[in-house]
Amino acid sequence: MNKEIINFTDVSIGYGNTAILTGINISIAENDFIGVVGPNGAGKTTLLKSLLGNIKLLSGRISKDDLRFGYVPQRDTVQPLLPYTVFDVVMMGRYSLSNSFKRISAEDKRVVEESLSYIGMSDVKNKNYNSLSGGQKQRTLIARALAVEPAVLILDEPTNGMDTPSHYSLLELITRLHSEKKLTIFLVSHLLTDVANIVKKIMLIDKNYFQFGDIGEILSEENLQRTYSSDFHISEIDGEYIIIPKHTKIL
Amino acid sequence: MEILHQLVELFPFAIAGSILAGIICSFLGVFIVSQRVVFLGAVLTQVAIAGVAFSFLHIIHIETLIASLLGITIEKDELMHNFEPIFYSLLFAILTVIIFSQTHRQKHITKDGILGIIFVVAIAVRIMFIQKSPVADVAEIESILKGDILFINQTEFYILGVILIFTVSIFTFFRKQLKFVTFDSESANAHGINSRKWLLIFYIVVGTGISLTTRFVGDVFAFAYLIIPSSIGILTAKSVKNVFLISILVGGAVPPVAIYFAFKFDFSSGPAAVVTAFVLFLAVYVVKKLRG
Repeated sequence: MNKEIINFTDVSIGYGNTAILTGINISIAENDFIGVVGPNGAGKTTLLKSLLGNIKLLSGRISKDDLRFGYVPQRDTVQPLLPYTVFDVVMMGRYSLSNSFKRISAEDKRVVEESLSYIGMSDVKNKNYNSLSGGQKQRTLIARALAVEPAVLILDEPTNGMDTPSHYSLLELITRLHSEKKLTIFLVSHLLTDVANIVKKIMLIDKNYFQFGDIGEILSEENLQRTYSSDFHISEIDGEYIIIPKHTKIL
Repeated sequence: MEILHQLVELFPFAIAGSILAGIICSFLGVFIVSQRVVFLGAVLTQVAIAGVAFSFLHIIHIETLIASLLGITIEKDELMHNFEPIFYSLLFAILTVIIFSQTHRQKHITKDGILGIIFVVAIAVRIMFIQKSPVADVAEIESILKGDILFINQTEFYILGVILIFTVSIFTFFRKQLKFVTFDSESANAHGINSRKWLLIFYIVVGTGISLTTRFVGDVFAFAYLIIPSSIGILTAKSVKNVFLISILVGGAVPPVAIYFAFKFDFSSGPAAVVTAFVLFLAVYVVKKLRG
């Protein structure tokens, strides 16, 4: 059993006076690999923003010591007009670690180079971020999160809108980050089959509904029906999950 | 050559001041254009003018209040005499950016909607303030509205110098935070940089720079130099550093050239500076298009 690094105690989250989820009592351990799934507007982003401390909790407490978080947004939310290079973008990950007056150090540059090399982007580091493909942009944003040297990595829909090769190559990279760098990972995705096949634990989230645990325990047709208000069929072929919605026949 | 000689002799501070005003606007313009809040620039220039018009109502005498606190005589001090219009244009602009920065993420009205409301209200109250101003002041307000850069005096030149140093200093000292939050505020926040706070600082610096510059060079010049030089920079440069360099170069170099043409062909210098910058923009755009 790995060491517990994040503890939610009687946590209620929401906006203003509106609670989305209440009474969350869970523990996240070192090197957990967690899929966060649920319908649009269920509260996935709110939960993660609460974890990051960007949204105040309605009640309860999240203890997370001095953990460093790396965050990878959906790449469509980052569309700069200025011609930032890949290196510039990844260097931004270092900005939160030093004060205003400190210059960029050799150590900062080394970490940025290392992050770029790890995700296989060293050869395009001087390219304009805007000129990259969708997959390369997403990798750049992952490298920026790695430049924080995080203990926990949060990825928000990282494979959205990607072609199939880029999609699987990115999932492979995320799995590698978990196994080689021993990162605790939160992967938000609406692609149930992807999530089920790479994560170890899963959070099912809907308004006032929250389930968290090992994938084998939580992933059931009943729980998915409750989360999405829709029927799903789960099958396992060669140890891989295949999750498909049960369509109603149209007469 | 004769005209040039006359200009330098008669209007040295106007020429130098127009360079400073152009640099301030084009520097801030890179952020305004890249943040896709061009309309904010237009709004701030109008709000600043509304603030200037408000000061001529002489409702609250900030100048007198400060002069009595400091024990100085305002008639003898040109800087203090200019203080009230500057104070109110700054106050109005800062209130606007605070409202904008705190509300532009809410979901009920779009960012453009909020700016549009402030824009029309600023123009409306400006007209109302001018109507109620003493007749003696109306000509002065109108000259501010026209923004003839030829009349930048020594004091205004120094004030513009201070604004430039202030603006560049803030963006230099806090470049890491401001770069990150203007690039991707959501991730900056997630990585521990309070994007709400830093965006507020960003907008206050932008509001300060624009409102004070507008006071001296007029809304048309200020708005044009926020947009045109930075657009030329973005069109032509391949690195962020060069976007700033080209933008500042255009912002600083074009106004004196425009003053020369305005003097030669007897035009108002403010509009001439705008048209000259536009001609340059057009030329750059066409060359860029032709080169594919």
